[in-house]
Amino acid sequence: MSKSISLKHKVIGRRSTLLAILLFLFFIALSKQFDPYNQAQLANIATLLIAVLSITLLTGASGQISLGQGAIMAVGGYASALLVTRLGYSMWLSFILAIFVSALFGLFLGLAAARLSGPYLAGTTLVMALAIPSIAVRFEPFFGGDVGINVDYGNPPRWLTSFVGKISIEEWSLYVVLPFTALALFAVLNLSNTRAGRTWRAVRDNEVSAALAGINIGRTKVIVFVCASGLAGLAGALYGFRGLVGPSVYPTDLSLTLLTAAVIGGLRSIGGAIFGTFTVVFLPDLIERITSTFEVPGAIANYLPGLAIGTLLLLTVILNPSGAAGLNERIHHRIKKTISKSGGH
Amino acid sequence: MNLRKPLILTVVASALVGSLAISSVSTAVAGAPGVSASEIVLGMQLPETGPASPGYNKVDDAARAYFDYVNSKGGVYGRNIKLVVKDDTYKAGLTISTASKLINQDKIFAFFGSIGTQTHVSVIKDINRRKIPDIFVNSGYSSFYTDPKKYPTTFAGLGTYTVEAKILGKYLLEKYPDKTIGVLYQSDDFGRNALAGLATAGLKFEARKTSASFIAGTQGSLGLASQIGQLKANGVDIVIIAAVSSATAVAYATAAQLGYKPTKWAVISVGADATTFQTILGSKGVPAATSAAMLAGTISASHAPAPGELDDEYIAAFKKINDDFNKGADTRWDNNVLQGMNAAYLATSALMGVGKKLTRKKLISYLEKNGSKLSSAAFAPLGYSKNSHEAFTGFWLGEYDASTLLVPIDGKRVVYTTDSAGGAVTVSNYKRPAISADALPKVA
Repeated sequence: MSKSISLKHKVIGRRSTLLAILLFLFFIALSKQFDPYNQAQLANIATLLIAVLSITLLTGASGQISLGQGAIMAVGGYASALLVTRLGYSMWLSFILAIFVSALFGLFLGLAAARLSGPYLAGTTLVMALAIPSIAVRFEPFFGGDVGINVDYGNPPRWLTSFVGKISIEEWSLYVVLPFTALALFAVLNLSNTRAGRTWRAVRDNEVSAALAGINIGRTKVIVFVCASGLAGLAGALYGFRGLVGPSVYPTDLSLTLLTAAVIGGLRSIGGAIFGTFTVVFLPDLIERITSTFEVPGAIANYLPGLAIGTLLLLTVILNPSGAAGLNERIHHRIKKTISKSGGH
Repeated sequence: MNLRKPLILTVVASALVGSLAISSVSTAVAGAPGVSASEIVLGMQLPETGPASPGYNKVDDAARAYFDYVNSKGGVYGRNIKLVVKDDTYKAGLTISTASKLINQDKIFAFFGSIGTQTHVSVIKDINRRKIPDIFVNSGYSSFYTDPKKYPTTFAGLGTYTVEAKILGKYLLEKYPDKTIGVLYQSDDFGRNALAGLATAGLKFEARKTSASFIAGTQGSLGLASQIGQLKANGVDIVIIAAVSSATAVAYATAAQLGYKPTKWAVISVGADATTFQTILGSKGVPAATSAAMLAGTISASHAPAPGELDDEYIAAFKKINDDFNKGADTRWDNNVLQGMNAAYLATSALMGVGKKLTRKKLISYLEKNGSKLSSAAFAPLGYSKNSHEAFTGFWLGEYDASTLLVPIDGKRVVYTTDSAGGAVTVSNYKRPAISADALPKVA
């Protein structure tokens, strides 16, 4: 019995490793086709994907809703920026430590969140999203107020440029972010397919039956919050190093954008998280491209991306609640059914 | 979570979304980026939408109108000026992306007239390390300009908040020595810069008594009732506002609701545009006559003539160009339009001054050496030099009359000048050169 479980773990581990490496190579290959702006957008996707994965864990796997992931990103961002600017830590170390700081924050939040559910939890996390910028402004000498803390990835290091040739600042930002994205994907894939992941899903699907099965509901919820916060904090640190850690970098609508990406892609699917993140980052560019071709007046064009993403979100919730991933699965299923039917005749 | 489905398929589908968005890579241009034989491309970032946008979203249309006028007269050495504008909704996270787009896809020659202090903070370091000129920035935040070694390519488009607040503070202290003076400020660098200027002038405030603050951008959603209520409760006679126009409008409306009538309102100029003030109050159902009456008597400052001074030669020329060339959604002539056009006039002067062989380095060097000699509608010269990139070094003080026109206090325009540090406030003796008949800069 124990042998078969460890064997299964190995298989899952191998699969996660393979998928994480594939994602890494895929982003690199894609970036080679892109101009620097789209490379920066790709780095943006790689960063936000980590935060969306935290929602996939939190909401998709354990059924807890958070409208404040952007605020936890801010915690990670401020932690890393302060470590670098105040204590002179290296950027890389600060990213790792940001995971722990935000996970600790998630622990305290999780202790409260475990007692709440549904709209009450959503409300609490939304308040957090609104409150974090105020805290940064209130304690201005420490957090830098509205102006925030200037941090960036720096220029591409010489060892890299001598190895791969001259690269743009944008491409360098992608190289910084991507290893973390691959690691995050690896971690989430692994987590969701171990005992922990199964426990979370049991809690999500039916708390009473999970409790009857001997699962400590409160503890499980707190653990998910801690894991998701660690991921969001890492994303926040990477996001801040694009140029600034400050209140207007982590506004409330960042939290909503992340949730939108997760819902459009499919809350319970990791593939969906990737698709959703690509959509929310690239759709505005796509719309801008179309509107500039047709010379749509600015007064209309400026509102179109928000309108399009909002409509897409509404349509997803109404017509296809399981998101792009669910749709993909249904199509898959139907094709299979058709093939087996025609094969049977 | 679903592992059964092939993740790779999703990744490929995502790539499709991505690749659809890729714009065709622009062809490389010989010489400076953004400069070709027929065109000079400038880029601007501002809140076109969102709570901070009212009023400011007219600045780009006004600047473009002036550039179009220049283009209709043959451009700058045969090159048309093209202005590419990106909406950052006043959120720094987006400013970083739009700046990258302007640099990498629109291949701009220089950033021009970008609006917003906290948003510009997020990109100023990157713009400077790429050595891209960042000219006539529409922010009065002094830290951008007082140390050119830190930001060598960034040049101001507004006088600093510190200079303006120093001049305003000195006047108020002398004119109203017995009154209780309070301040309402947005708790960002704009607000804090203004507080620093007022403090240098000798005006100190007591937190939660004579000073009230709010987080920039929240005036629309949260209102300013507690702040105004606090000033009222503490018997503040004169309220200074250091905030954007939309917040000024909310402050006045809140005071009216609370029955609070301070002896005087004094508003830092970027937050005192009459049209924006009236438009915002109009959207809340306040008739124009009422909002004009609310604004009447308010003290503010300006470095340029008031937009309503139609007999001023610059105002007359710019207003005509606005009527003929502005294609924006709201072309009403006001301070935002005037500022946009004046900045475009100055940018055109600088581009002409550099000469035919336009490069980024030459533009920066030209502005440092000759910027202080460039004239515009302003009654004060630019303070550009090797040691400072501050813009207009002087302001005159006025009061809004019943027709929302800012008129000089006591009927005589006196321009005061000072620096962003501890220097004294003195009367300026600058004589503004006349505008040419065709409203084009004449630069040697």
